[in-house]
Amino acid sequence: MSGVKLEGVVKSYKDVTVVHGIDLEVKSKEFVVLVGPSGCGKSTTLRMLAGLEEISDGQVSIDDKVVNHIAPKDRDVAMVFQNYALYPHLSVAENIAFGLRIRKVPKPRIEELVKEVAHTLELTSLLERRPADLSGGQRQRVAMGRAIVRHPKVFLFDEPLSNLDAKLRTQMRAEIKQLHTKLGVTSVYVTHDQVEAMTLADRIVVMSDGRIEQIGTPMELFNNPINTFVATFIGSPPMNLISTTITSIDGLVYADISGNKCLLPQLENPCDLEVIIGIRPEYVDIVPVDNSSAVPIHVDLVETLGSEALLHCRIQESAFVVKVDTHGKVEHLKHLDTLYFRQDAITVFDKTTGRALSRSSVGCNA
Amino acid sequence: MENEQSYQVINESPRSKKLTWLIHHFQREWRLYIMLAPTLIWFILFLYKPMYGLQIAFKDYSVFKGITDSPWIGLEHFYTLFENDQFIRAIKNTVIISGASLLFGFPVPIILALMFNEIINPKFKKTAQTIVYLPHFISAVIIAGIVITAFAPSTGVVNLLLNALGYDSVYFLTKPEWFRTIFVGTGIWQEAGFNSIVFLASIAGVNPSLYESAVVDGASRWQMMWKITLPCIMPTILIMLIIRIGNILEVGFEMIIMLYQPATYATSDVISTFIYRQGLQAAQYDLAAAAGLFNAVIAFVLVIAANTISKKVSRTSLW
Repeated sequence: MSGVKLEGVVKSYKDVTVVHGIDLEVKSKEFVVLVGPSGCGKSTTLRMLAGLEEISDGQVSIDDKVVNHIAPKDRDVAMVFQNYALYPHLSVAENIAFGLRIRKVPKPRIEELVKEVAHTLELTSLLERRPADLSGGQRQRVAMGRAIVRHPKVFLFDEPLSNLDAKLRTQMRAEIKQLHTKLGVTSVYVTHDQVEAMTLADRIVVMSDGRIEQIGTPMELFNNPINTFVATFIGSPPMNLISTTITSIDGLVYADISGNKCLLPQLENPCDLEVIIGIRPEYVDIVPVDNSSAVPIHVDLVETLGSEALLHCRIQESAFVVKVDTHGKVEHLKHLDTLYFRQDAITVFDKTTGRALSRSSVGCNA
Repeated sequence: MENEQSYQVINESPRSKKLTWLIHHFQREWRLYIMLAPTLIWFILFLYKPMYGLQIAFKDYSVFKGITDSPWIGLEHFYTLFENDQFIRAIKNTVIISGASLLFGFPVPIILALMFNEIINPKFKKTAQTIVYLPHFISAVIIAGIVITAFAPSTGVVNLLLNALGYDSVYFLTKPEWFRTIFVGTGIWQEAGFNSIVFLASIAGVNPSLYESAVVDGASRWQMMWKITLPCIMPTILIMLIIRIGNILEVGFEMIIMLYQPATYATSDVISTFIYRQGLQAAQYDLAAAAGLFNAVIAFVLVIAANTISKKVSRTSLW
């Protein structure tokens, strides 16, 4: 199986640079998700990998072979597009067989492969239909069928689920994951949906403004974001951020929140410092626990989700969201006036650079 | 009493609702209707109103008696027409010229559009497009003038070329065997470029990711043109073909009038020039109306037939 390597890859359009020298190594059989907001360069990176965009500088390798000047067809990659890219005049079977016909694979072998793929993707009964007669999910499955039928070295997915409704997206997400487990092909997947990234990826690459912000497993990114961008991009609802100042008393570091002292994780140079402290909505407690600091709040709204509820409150006039288990009751949540921040659940960020000064130790033992 | 009132309310409610909707609709969309008005007026004045006059095809029409008072004579004009060798010849010429225009002229704009689509250099593309679009904007009179000059026996560029190659001059425009070739060729030269615009627009509408997907699959440009571009613009090609088939009996009247002469009538006289000579020059309006009506009915049948076939074969149709 094949790995993918990007070394100092740059993409510029005349004077505008959209990808600023990224380095990334995708191991064989790994499922890596590039995630970031619109315009961050994730699709451009994928297209450079496919050979649909020329690279301005750097090196792209597939299976330890530099492919900078190799045509897309010779890179042995298959790509699934956002809008499926199915040929409207061809049937499902012909769409799946298109790449094989172009490569002049013998007809009996094509038929055999198409049948095999159709069976894998449960498309057997739809083989004679045209794309216009299929539902969104079925079209997406055909697009995947066209990709897997060639047994490529690498799968590239460019926001393949964006055109599907929420329910179908969840279903297809599971199918893609199962397919990857079954086929074990190296996959690079682009999405702007962090839920997709969290659920599918072996490793996530968070991108912003043409640069890689952080690479890590979903839980690494969730628990230890490297900066405020990753902290707010990964997680739904995003990490709560509060601007404050810190003081060091008897070797312990405290933040001043609404006049209360909140115990923080240990920092290297804990002098009087302007910082941002971050805490995940899931890691805030509504009852005191060990090493937790009380923070006064005002609850504005309680959003009931069933087993969970979202508390929209204010701390120091900033919006703050907490996710709590309801255990079937929400009335008491409306009257909360104090939250408890555990020391190990807090991440401290530099206010100027936004970079993390401490690491949360939640989930480290997991 | 109460029941009657409620009955009336129920009875009037949908009508008043519809009226209110119409008023609101016009208040909201009046600009669109103003834009639509010139076309509607043109259709009413020049296509629908003259339909009233079609009845003279079944009457012994006299300008003094008028359309209403002229006596009915049934299908007599149609019998006369089909006994007239000139009319039969006109039908034959119309079908041959139209058929040749369709056969040779219809694919040219498609080929041009496909070729334009393959040009990568934008400057060269624009220049080439301008050159081929240009003849469309030249008036038919000037085009006819250019053709007559080009094919002139002593000074025409075509004959000068023939002379240079050692052949004798040919007075092309007096030779019936050359008329159809010259006419069809002129039509292609004048309109092929402009007609390619609709196909270019259709090509522009093809989803770019189809090409990207094909590139990843390993398709060459030639394969992409055959396997993606052409099939994707097929609905447009079929719609244009249906429209062309509907107009198959309407050969460019002005150009024929300017290029033909009695010596070439054998191959150049078409239904429209026949109608012109009978109706306007010989003042046989009723006979000309019968010829025109015949023309329209055949065109109508052809459009219906082409549309039905296209619908069955390719799922594409005008209606």
